[in-house]
Amino acid sequence: MAGLKCRYMSYEYEIDYDTQNSYEKGLNEAFWQFLVIPEDNETQEVSYWHFENDLGERNSVSINGLGFKTVQVRSKKQVDHINFNAHFKVVKKEINPFDFELPSDLEAERAHLNSLEFKVDHEPYLRKTRFTTLPEQHRSYFEFDRSISIFENLTHLNHWTFEHLYFKTGVTDVNTPLSEIIEKRHGVCQDFTHLFCAIAKYNGVPCRYVSGYLHQGHGFFGDSQMHAWAEAFVPNVGWIGFDPTNDLLASHNHIKVCHGKDYTDCAPLKGVVYTHGANETKYSVFVKAAQQQ
Amino acid sequence: MGTAIDKTIFSSYVRKEGLFDEVFQSDGEVKSVYQKLLDLYGSRTIEDYVSLNNKAKSSFFNQGITFQVYGDKQSQEKIFPFDLFPRIIDSAEWETIEKGAIQRSLALNHFLWDVYHDKKIIKDNIVPIELLSSSPNYLHQMMDVDPPSKVYNHISGTDIIKHSDGDYYVLEDNIRCPSGVSYVICNRTALKRALFGVFNHYQTYTVTDYAENLLNLLESVKPPGVDAPVCVVITPGMFNSAYYEHSYLAKAMGVELVEGRDLFVENDFVYMKTTQGPVRVDVVYRRIDDLFIDPMEFHPDSTLGVPGLFAAYKKGNVTLANAPGTGVADDKAIYTYVPDIIKYYLGEEPILKNVHTYHCSRPDELKYVLENIKDLVIKPVDEAGGYGISIGNKLTKEEIEKVKAVVKANPRKYVAQPIMSLSVHPTYIDQKESFEQRHVDLRTFTVLGHDQQFVLKGGLTRVALKEGNLIVNSSQGGGSKDTWVLKQ
Amino acid sequence: MLARVANNLFWMGRYIERAEHIARYMNVNYFSSLDAPNQLSQSRQFVLRSMLFMVGDPVPDDSIKLEEESVLYDIGLNPEKFYSILSSIKAARENANSSRDLISTELYESLNKFYHFVVNYPTDTFVKTNLYDFTVNVTEMIAVLRGKIRGTLLHDEVYAIIMMGVNIERAIQITRIINTKYNDALLAKGSYGDTFAHSFEWTTLLKCAESYDMMRRLYKKSPTSTSTLEFLLLNGRCPRSFMNCINQVYKHILEIDKKVEYSKHSTAFMVGKIRSEFEFKQIEEIQEDIQGNLNMILNKMFKISENMEKEFFHY
Repeated sequence: MAGLKCRYMSYEYEIDYDTQNSYEKGLNEAFWQFLVIPEDNETQEVSYWHFENDLGERNSVSINGLGFKTVQVRSKKQVDHINFNAHFKVVKKEINPFDFELPSDLEAERAHLNSLEFKVDHEPYLRKTRFTTLPEQHRSYFEFDRSISIFENLTHLNHWTFEHLYFKTGVTDVNTPLSEIIEKRHGVCQDFTHLFCAIAKYNGVPCRYVSGYLHQGHGFFGDSQMHAWAEAFVPNVGWIGFDPTNDLLASHNHIKVCHGKDYTDCAPLKGVVYTHGANETKYSVFVKAAQQQ
Repeated sequence: MGTAIDKTIFSSYVRKEGLFDEVFQSDGEVKSVYQKLLDLYGSRTIEDYVSLNNKAKSSFFNQGITFQVYGDKQSQEKIFPFDLFPRIIDSAEWETIEKGAIQRSLALNHFLWDVYHDKKIIKDNIVPIELLSSSPNYLHQMMDVDPPSKVYNHISGTDIIKHSDGDYYVLEDNIRCPSGVSYVICNRTALKRALFGVFNHYQTYTVTDYAENLLNLLESVKPPGVDAPVCVVITPGMFNSAYYEHSYLAKAMGVELVEGRDLFVENDFVYMKTTQGPVRVDVVYRRIDDLFIDPMEFHPDSTLGVPGLFAAYKKGNVTLANAPGTGVADDKAIYTYVPDIIKYYLGEEPILKNVHTYHCSRPDELKYVLENIKDLVIKPVDEAGGYGISIGNKLTKEEIEKVKAVVKANPRKYVAQPIMSLSVHPTYIDQKESFEQRHVDLRTFTVLGHDQQFVLKGGLTRVALKEGNLIVNSSQGGGSKDTWVLKQ
Repeated sequence: MLARVANNLFWMGRYIERAEHIARYMNVNYFSSLDAPNQLSQSRQFVLRSMLFMVGDPVPDDSIKLEEESVLYDIGLNPEKFYSILSSIKAARENANSSRDLISTELYESLNKFYHFVVNYPTDTFVKTNLYDFTVNVTEMIAVLRGKIRGTLLHDEVYAIIMMGVNIERAIQITRIINTKYNDALLAKGSYGDTFAHSFEWTTLLKCAESYDMMRRLYKKSPTSTSTLEFLLLNGRCPRSFMNCINQVYKHILEIDKKVEYSKHSTAFMVGKIRSEFEFKQIEEIQEDIQGNLNMILNKMFKISENMEKEFFHY
């Protein structure tokens, strides 16, 4: 497959991830795992990181089951909260997402998608999960057009998702089923991304959920939170990022942390705490463009 | 020699037509291997037998080899029913079983390596991709993980039956956390206590070397760079129905029996919390389902597991036996492909038979299925746990027509198998104070390690205690028998 | 050894020991009261109150008339009462269950049999006719368990932890029994001389501690308050005495904690300090404030147990 060709333009970002978790009844023992470190890949490189927690416990960097770096913190003392801060510097290359040729033979492209070899190689991201299974009654909602290429279809889907859902915070949470999002037509970046993935997978295009940071500045949605977008696999090209919340292709403003089948694989914080009481979680993200080269 | 039917203890034993009896030939003669045993047992009265049986029961009860039954008021403890009349397998038959069990375990191990690496068998169209993509036990976290010595299914339990044709057939492979091995040993102990005299007349292999072999295996798959590995057994806890087995195995191996809360992970190393502080753990024999071993990776609500364990495993700092993700190879749907899997990886013919499977997706086989539904069991390919199964000889005419229509409408979704008949074995029935024919199966235990294979010479013979019942599971009121493998 | 398992073994030891003291206390008090010389000591209400006081469920209100059968049931077989013999045995077995891989098959089998004996004991027979049979069986089976602990376990850390539990519990129970009988003696005084010092209750106390014969052999006189307290608190050669218990606890803690120098917050240090204090204690000092000294002993034992939990079982 052809990789993305890049120009020699690069951007440097500073990222702050900050979270406060408090536990009403206190904890005897706890384990937290943060999935917030930007990935090192062809288009981005982490040049600096620093972690801090206010419990005085060690921050250990580990690698999770899907191959992404995590930070683990274990506490064996009696505590009632944890404040955790991560600071990164990331160098991101300029990306031209259109830097490839559209296929001349649409039938061949489709045949490739339907081949056994392709399906086997991409099985993980063709697999439908709880959040990315298109409900039966909504299957004709957005149909792929066989007269245009996969990439064009995905671009249309990206636009359609952006138009179809209204961005609204506080109306959905991490457990809202896809059918509710389709019916009520609102949600946040996670919901936009799940819908995009569901429709792409339903049409046989491998698609994965991406969690990361979005550099603001152009009035994009996703302010001071972790952002989510999708990556779809376009035959003969590779993985391309689609941001349906903003009707964009992923660019140098999208700093990727990890990908997975859906949000469940990408939750920025997982914790095992031994407590009976309620807990409260707050977090904020700040992305700043340091300089352009 | 006269037939044993004359003996007092078997005076009311009835042989039914069409059932394969393990002890008596179709003409009523005792099979030679059982002759001596029948002479010894037969000279006793049923009263002797009743009293021995009660002694054996109280021995189990006092040793606390029990399981809980939850009733209306308070929970009650019950023993697993144990039958004092042993099952004998002669050395020739055993050789086939042993070789067959190893062959299956090795082939399934190759299969696991393949589906977590190049997936050649899928790309070569031997096993359909749907079996991976529809399996909740196919763990993507295991992709490209290289377990020590390339072993995934360190411990397998293979369920084998003898059909009315006198041949052994495999019904099921269990390669997640197969249980039952402690009962093999307990049964032997109980039988020795009650009837030690009979052992003088038979050269039987011991079964007490299982723990030793298991420990050797666990040590052989230690993480690289570790000299004297610390092994532990992890259990869900004392309320698990197999807790006795977990504690037995830990004790017999002389290793710690831990629960999730006894372990913790720091910097990708696993430690157990001891009175003298943390001690590093190198090999974990897990008796917790893989989806519960680490809430960071799998079920987030699991309190049985250890947060961070999987990352430590993936990094190679601890070995898990069995490896996570083995469940993909013992799904019912994969079972039908095991003969193909054996041929594909080992280039051998299967030594133990599979129950023949007709794939309705293949036109000739579909034709056969539609014509013979009354002699077949029809199963959906992708449903687990016994859903949607139709047993031909129990269907009415209308129901047969319905099933035919459903299968014809979607032949790819269905497979069919002949209705199997499990062999029967004389079994003492408490309520009737007499011996009767009961269906039995055999679970063998295979251990794969670094360059080593071992099958416990014995295995668990499970008995369906209800008359005519084919389900031998202990949850369905099944019992068990001591199983003797003869040396010559 | 796993910290959780050590905790379980420690409590297994404690519960086994506890059950025995309660059973013996019931037995001795009930049957010695039947022909006691003093009218109060002979009163059934007095005995029942004494039993409830000993298990930590006192009924101070004299106007309440206690029901004999229900008191016996509560202390013997009531699964709802945490202090019942049945609850102790149940807890001992549960603790053994979770550490089955570490204790011997023989010990487990005996405990398990014992548990089934207690659980299946007919309630009705127990409260009406079989108090003697039940309590004697309990004490004898516990004697068997003690033998299995001593004789079928490797004398290593596992054994030391169990024995710590046994001896700490014994120290606590002996002190509780002394405390109860001390209170009974204040109420039921003897009929000649110093009536408190010659109360019939001192004999009962020694029998409750299974120490009557030993004491007679040593002192060759009828027990008085002074000789009884001296024997049960300070005589290191009496296996039931507090002094012996603390000696045992000290011996076993050294097996668990093998450091050369002990920090002053360690359990080993605490135990050693109490032991030295009592080694040179005189009975006269204790008699200055019997109640205060008994409370002090109990508090120190509770502290040791708490400290062990922090030091070794905190997981």
